[in-house]
Parts: sequence; structure tokens; C-alpha cells
Amino acid sequence: MTTFRPTPLRLLRPRTQARRGWVPLLASLDWGLAATSAALSGIGLLLVWSATRTDPSSTLLQRQAVSVGLGFVLMWLVSRCDLRILRAYVPVLYLLALAGLVAVLTPLGRTVNGSHAWIVLGSGLQFQPSEFAKVALVLALAMALGELRDGERRPGPGAVFLALGLAALPMGLIMLQPDLGTTLVFAAVVAGMVVVSGAPKRWLAGLTAAAGLVLLVVWRLHLIRPYQLQRLMVLTDPDADPLGVGYNATQARIAIGSGGMLGKGLFQGEQTAGHFVPEQHTDFIFTVAGEELGFLGAACVILLMTVVLWRGLRIAARSASPYGTVLAGGVVCWLAFQTFVNVGMTVGILPITGLPLPFVSYGGSATISTLTAVGLLEAVHRTRSRTPLG
Amino acid sequence: MLRLGNPARRLNAGLAVMAFVLSLFAGRLVQLQGLDSKVLQAKAAQQRVQPETLPARRGSIRDVAGHELAVTADAREIYLDPADVTPAQRDLIATTLAVELNRPKEEIAAKLAKTTQRYIVAARDIEPLRAKKIMSFRFKGVGSRPTYRREYPGDSLAGGLIGFVGFEGHGLTGIERAYDKVLAGQDGKQSIEIGRDGQRIPMTSSSHRAPVPGRDVRLTIDRDIQWAAQQAIERQVRAASARSGSVIVMDVRTGQIVAMANSPEVDLNDWETTPEEDWGNRAASEVFEPGSTNKVITAAAAIESGAVTPDTVFRVPDHTQCADRQLKDAHPHSPENLTFTGVIAESSNVGTIMAAEKVSSQRLYDMFRSFGFGVKSGASLPGEEAGLLPRWETWSGSQRCTIAYGQGISVTALQMASVYQTIANGGVRVTPSIVAGTTDEHGRFVPAPAPKQTRVISQRTAQQIAGMLEAAVGHDGTGAAAAIPGYRVAGKTGTAMRYDEKCKGYCGYTATFVGFTPADAPRLMALAVIQDPKNGHFGGMVSAPVFKDVMTFALKSRKIPPTGTKAPDVVLRTGE
Repeated sequence: MTTFRPTPLRLLRPRTQARRGWVPLLASLDWGLAATSAALSGIGLLLVWSATRTDPSSTLLQRQAVSVGLGFVLMWLVSRCDLRILRAYVPVLYLLALAGLVAVLTPLGRTVNGSHAWIVLGSGLQFQPSEFAKVALVLALAMALGELRDGERRPGPGAVFLALGLAALPMGLIMLQPDLGTTLVFAAVVAGMVVVSGAPKRWLAGLTAAAGLVLLVVWRLHLIRPYQLQRLMVLTDPDADPLGVGYNATQARIAIGSGGMLGKGLFQGEQTAGHFVPEQHTDFIFTVAGEELGFLGAACVILLMTVVLWRGLRIAARSASPYGTVLAGGVVCWLAFQTFVNVGMTVGILPITGLPLPFVSYGGSATISTLTAVGLLEAVHRTRSRTPLG
Repeated sequence: MLRLGNPARRLNAGLAVMAFVLSLFAGRLVQLQGLDSKVLQAKAAQQRVQPETLPARRGSIRDVAGHELAVTADAREIYLDPADVTPAQRDLIATTLAVELNRPKEEIAAKLAKTTQRYIVAARDIEPLRAKKIMSFRFKGVGSRPTYRREYPGDSLAGGLIGFVGFEGHGLTGIERAYDKVLAGQDGKQSIEIGRDGQRIPMTSSSHRAPVPGRDVRLTIDRDIQWAAQQAIERQVRAASARSGSVIVMDVRTGQIVAMANSPEVDLNDWETTPEEDWGNRAASEVFEPGSTNKVITAAAAIESGAVTPDTVFRVPDHTQCADRQLKDAHPHSPENLTFTGVIAESSNVGTIMAAEKVSSQRLYDMFRSFGFGVKSGASLPGEEAGLLPRWETWSGSQRCTIAYGQGISVTALQMASVYQTIANGGVRVTPSIVAGTTDEHGRFVPAPAPKQTRVISQRTAQQIAGMLEAAVGHDGTGAAAAIPGYRVAGKTGTAMRYDEKCKGYCGYTATFVGFTPADAPRLMALAVIQDPKNGHFGGMVSAPVFKDVMTFALKSRKIPPTGTKAPDVVLRTGE
């Protein structure tokens, strides 16, 4: 039996631990996860540098470096937090996220690349509330699905409905931007967390059926936009319209393929330097890896992502609490789905959807929220690793 | 206490799904970067590497004094990249370009509508300044490329001779075609890597081979005499309502062609609107039956054989039977006693036949060959014809007679001019030449090799024939209209029946005058031929004035003084 400890003490805990010395502090981290995240972020910086190298006036590399730095600071801070403290702030975070998503739809919002997803805070400073909403969503759903009442082995119907409701609100707001990719990330996160939470199979079956129905309605009522349909068609034959919708897909394939097994060398890719792939520093950054680092480098990026996801699942499996399990599972779902969709579209086996590659793509909000999510994983990891100590 | 059973199993399943998806990606990477890599690399290079031809500047064509007859000027080609033009801009671009390029708006709009194409030529040969103005509008999808434009300062001056250059930059006719290798130079090549925005990709490799400019060709043509010749022939062709005409002026001693004019003549700056039949150089390419101008060769054969002298007297009726045909003189007359000089001066067909009968057919044939009939002149002009000289064995009974006065064989004006050059040059034929020389790669003039010289007849025979020809221009001769006051002129008229394919037989005439001056020390020869004149048809009436005009101008232009001697008295006819 553990004794109840009042919350303020927990807040102080890092400090007390710090007094005890660095060794236990460092030992409480999942170093595999942290190091892999750092490696991916580092590769990301190099690739952003390469993708923007032909424009001497570009400050994207510096901006991304600042984002990565901020992200790691946040990751560190979050990983030091007690999960229960975090939980106390979840309603606030969730409401803040909703407020941000609403604010995007007001005149504060700004459209970039057809998506009204940005809030501008003044000269050169802007952020994407939907990225931070992902963190809030994962936390909120973990609260709904991961807090089992005494005797419960799995979340009840009420918990699942609460989770669906909590997810529906931000998803609706994001649909209005419109940002299909991020909406799909949310859907994947909800689905994954419900599954991980241990919800009964019939619930899962019901939810799948409901999702299918929604898809059917969307299809029947032509709610899907023509360009989205075109992106699907192009997938089967990218050369059908090489200068139009198929352009990205074709160019991505050419850039990656021309890298060969060993790549042309960092900063040596002519396709990258010629900017043939649009959005090559953001959504299509994987093409830069493909061209300049070759199969070796691209496979390496995929392998590192696999390590991140594997460590995440491991943390979820070893969590001391269902809350931690569901939370970690949600983060893994998020990162996995985004990785799959991004790499899948870049290599031409999934339709083009504007989603960044976690850690690697340029993007301040995405980088910071991804690293914050890694911080959450580390925090969950600590709940487990603390057990043998205490 | 936690039960991890169910969630843990699901997490394991999740790991399996992830591993599957990611291995799928790895497989796809192997496909793209391993198996398809070569193909995709080639595709990448193809869209990135832009080979570009750097056109070589074409050499000039100049006259003998260096005046420009054909020059190459800087120009621009305006092209469109319809795929790069936004639909909203299309109308504005079409309107603007229509005005600037002076083309119909619909034409530009139609080109802009071909949005699948990346390169359509909107206009060629645009002035650099105008192109600069067009580019200053900064239309996306409109570009300008440096090219060259061929310009002919003289428009139609020596048009058929000089020729013109096609859109591909190669000579299609005339000297432009014959000397294309010299003039064209060698295009350079350059390949650079271009990014999506059309800018050069930094730090990429490039190859560059500079173009080798073409070399200049200097003709033997004298621009001023050419102009005078062209004016004269054009005037007379119009006055006589003739089909066409040509003039050749040649330097007797060197065989260099000083002028070679045709009418109608192609306007080289606007050749597309000229009928194709007028593109060529008639003086070298049009074949016709020469008529009486041919009699000098019969005379040469007869005198060389020793059977006849200029003073030999023939009793000449106005007609004679030759095999199955009765052949006549141009005008009816009672039988008269003509010296051989008289036969030539008065251009008696019957008298010429009588002289020819003293020579064998083979000898006559050999003489025609020696004077250059039946083969190209050697001036290396494109489109030049060899004429038609049947072998003597195949001559029909009457053909032997008609050939003696220039019917039944055919020649070009250039071939006939060469005959008179030979006589004027004391019997030595100099292969006609049109190119004085070319410049080498350093711009230094390299003269053309000296033309071949062949003795055809003895100097004595040549002088005797010159004397007979001088009589032909005398007041009793047929060519009196060719006389130039103060100069001694030798020449011969020719009025031939003209074979016309359209009427499948002889319709109309070919009127010729060919001669040289000064008769006792020849410097220049000239030939004027007019095809199918309607107002008058005798060579002495239609063509002799052209000869006189051109030769008068040429003598002045070349500052050739009269010899100051007097023509000897000659006896054309004797009493009983």
C-alpha cells in the first residue's frame, strides 16, 4: 500500500530528485526514445537546410532550429511532470485548444496552402492551433478512457461516448478549416485509443460500422471535394496529369528514385536544388532524404521512426496505470498515422494529404507538439520506472 | 492491480501492423531506388537538363568590292509556354502580343490555348528592341530566345543567284544553298540544369561548346553592274510582254561573272510570297534552244577545219532542202553571193548550213562539246542545267542542219555566255566562276582557286570570228541595235523558235543577243536572253538594246576606255 501524497509535494519532486543527483534523474528517461527523437530532429534540420539551401535569404533553417530547441525544452519539462498533475490541467488545455481552433475561424486566422489553419501573432510569428490540439486531444481522451472505476477492467459505454464527444468537437472545427489530413489524424487517434483502452470488441465493431456509414454518406452526398477525389485517382496513375494533380506524386517518385541506393549526398541533390517537388521542406521532405541520402538514408529514417513507435508501444505496455497506457497508445497512434500517411504519399502508395513527417518536416507548431508528445511518453515511462525505486 | 492482458495483446497487434506497414514502405523504396532507379534518374535528368542549341552566326555574302548582299542580324524568337500561362492572363497576353508582333489576336490565342505544350513559337525574326519591350511586360509563359535573321539589303538584287535561307537556317536556293557549309558555320551546344522555376540550379554541371561562326563568301558580282543589268532586263521583259529574261555579264579574261540578273526576280526578304517557279536562277537553270547565236560554233568548226575562211563566198538561196525538211532563212530573198562573214552578219540559216556541210557531224559535235555544251559550266551554281546535246550518231538527217543554226539542241544562258567568252578570249575557255573567294576562320580573305583554262580554238580562228561578229553589229548586220558609240562591239543575234511544254511544240520565240567589247581587245562579254516576247521577237530588236544598256554601264563602271581603233572594212556580199 502506498500512502497518499498531496499534490504540491509531487510538483516539488523533480527538485528533490535533482538534489539527490543527476544519475537517477537521467536513469528515469527512456534513452532510446529520446536519442531517436533527437536523431530524427537532427536529420530533419539537415534536410530542411538542404531543401532551402538554394535560397540564401531563407530563414527556415534557423526557425526550425529554434522550434526543435523549444520542443526539446518542452519535452524535458513535460517528462518531469507527474501525470496526475498534468491530468489536473487537461480540462484547461482542452478548452484552450478549442479556443485556438475557434480563433482560427475568426479574422485572426490565416490561410496557407488552401488551409485556414494558422493564427498570426505578429511579425513572422504564427502557429497552428490544430497541432497543439493533438496534444490536448490525447490527454483528454486518456482522461476519458484511462480512468477506470474500481473493479472495471475496461472503459464503459459512458467513457467511450465521452471520448467520442471530446474528439468530435475539435474534429468538427478542423473540418471547417478545412484540413482533411489533421481530421484523419484525430480519427486515427480516437480509434487507436479506444482500442488500446481495452473497450469491448462489440464496441469496436460498432464504431467501425459507424465510421463506414459516415464514409458512405460523405461519398453519396458528394461532401468530398473534387480535388480530393482527383488525388485519389492520381494515385493509380500519376502520369495521367503530370502537370496538374499528378505533378507532386510524379516529382516525388522521380526525386526519390533518382537517389538510388546510396543517394547523391547531402546538399548534392539536383532535384531538390531545382525545387521540382513542391513543399519539399514540409510535407514532402522525405523526397529530400530519398534523393540525397538514397535508400540507405530513407530506410534509416523509416527505421528510426519504427524505433520511436516501438519505444512508445513498449512504454504503453509497461505503464503502471491504464491512463498511461492509453495516453502513450494515443501518442503512438498519432505519430504512426502521420508517418504512414506522409511516407505513404511520398513514395506514391497513398493519396496526397497534407501531413508533415513527425520530427523531420519543417513546421514550428508540428515540431513543438511532436516533441511535447514525446515528453508525454517519457512521463508515462517514468511512472513505470519509478516503481522499482519506490 | 492492473490487468494488462487485453490492452497488451492489442498493443502487440499494433506493433505487428506497424512493422507490416513500414516494411511495405521499405519494399516500395527498394522498388523506386533499386529497381526503377535508372529509369527515374533518366527522367530526372531529362526534365532538369536543358540542352540548348547556340546558333552560329551565318557568314555574309558580299560582292566583289565587299558590299553586303546578304547579312545576318541579331533577332529574337518569341515563344510561348502555354502551360505556364494562367487562364486569366491569356486574353491580355494575346491582345498585347497581337499588337507587338503584328499578328492576328486569334492566332496568338489559339496557340495559348494549347495548354499541354511547353514551347510554341509565336514569332520569329523579331527586332531585339521589340523583343525587349515584350519581355518588359513580364508575362509568365512568354519568352524570348536570341536567334539570327538573314537580311538582304538589295531585296531582289541578284535574288535568284544569291538565294535565300529557310526557317531552319539553311540555304534553300542559290549561293546560300551551294555554299551553305561555308556560310552556316557550326552551331554550338550548351546544356544547363534548370529548376522548376526556370532558374539555373546552382552548383550543377554544365557543358558548353561555343558556336563557330560561318565564313563570308565573296562573289565575283559587281553590285552596281548587277543592278544596271537587273533594271535593263526587267524593263525590257515588261516592254516586250515577255515571259522572262536573263542577263549575264562576264569578264572575258578571268571568266568571272560580273552580273547575273533575271526577270522576274525573287525578293529575298519576302521569298515566301514569290511564286516558286521564280525562286531559281534562270540564267543557269533555264534551258532553251539558242538559235543563231549558235552559228559561231559552226563557223569555228568550219574555219578550224580549214575548209572555209571569212571571205569564202557562198551562193545562198533563201531556202534549202535538208533530208526531209525544207529549211528557210528568216526573210525571203533571191539567191545572193554572201561571204562567210556576210552569212554570219546577216544570220543566214541556209548559208550556215552550207558551211556546216563542209565539216563532219562528229567534228561539229566535238566543237560543241569543247565549247561546253551538254555539261554544266563548272561555276558550281545550284540548279544549273547541262542542256541537251544529242550525240552526233543519233542526229536525224535534218537535225544535222538545224543544229548548225541552233535549233534541235538546248543550252543555258550561262553555257552560251561561256562560248562568247571563249571567242573573246582568243579561243581560250575559262571556266565561269561566281565566287571570288571566302574568308578563313580568322576573317582573312582566301581567293578561290584559279579557274581552269582550256584552248578550244586557235587564236587566229577566234580573231576571225570576232571580226565576223563585229560585222554583225555593223549597220548592215542584224545586231546594229547593240552598237555602242565610240566602242567596237562584236556580237550575234539569235531568234529561236521556242519549245513550250504547255503547247507541246514550238510556240513563241527566244530572243537573244550576245557579244563582247572592245571587239579588238575584248574585256567584257554580255548576254541578254528574253523568253517568249510578244512585242517583237527578233533578238536584234528585243535583246540587243538590253545588251547595249548593260554593256554601256559596265564599260563606264569598269572604266574601260575605247580602243580608239576603227573596225576594218569587211565585204558581206559580192556581185556576180
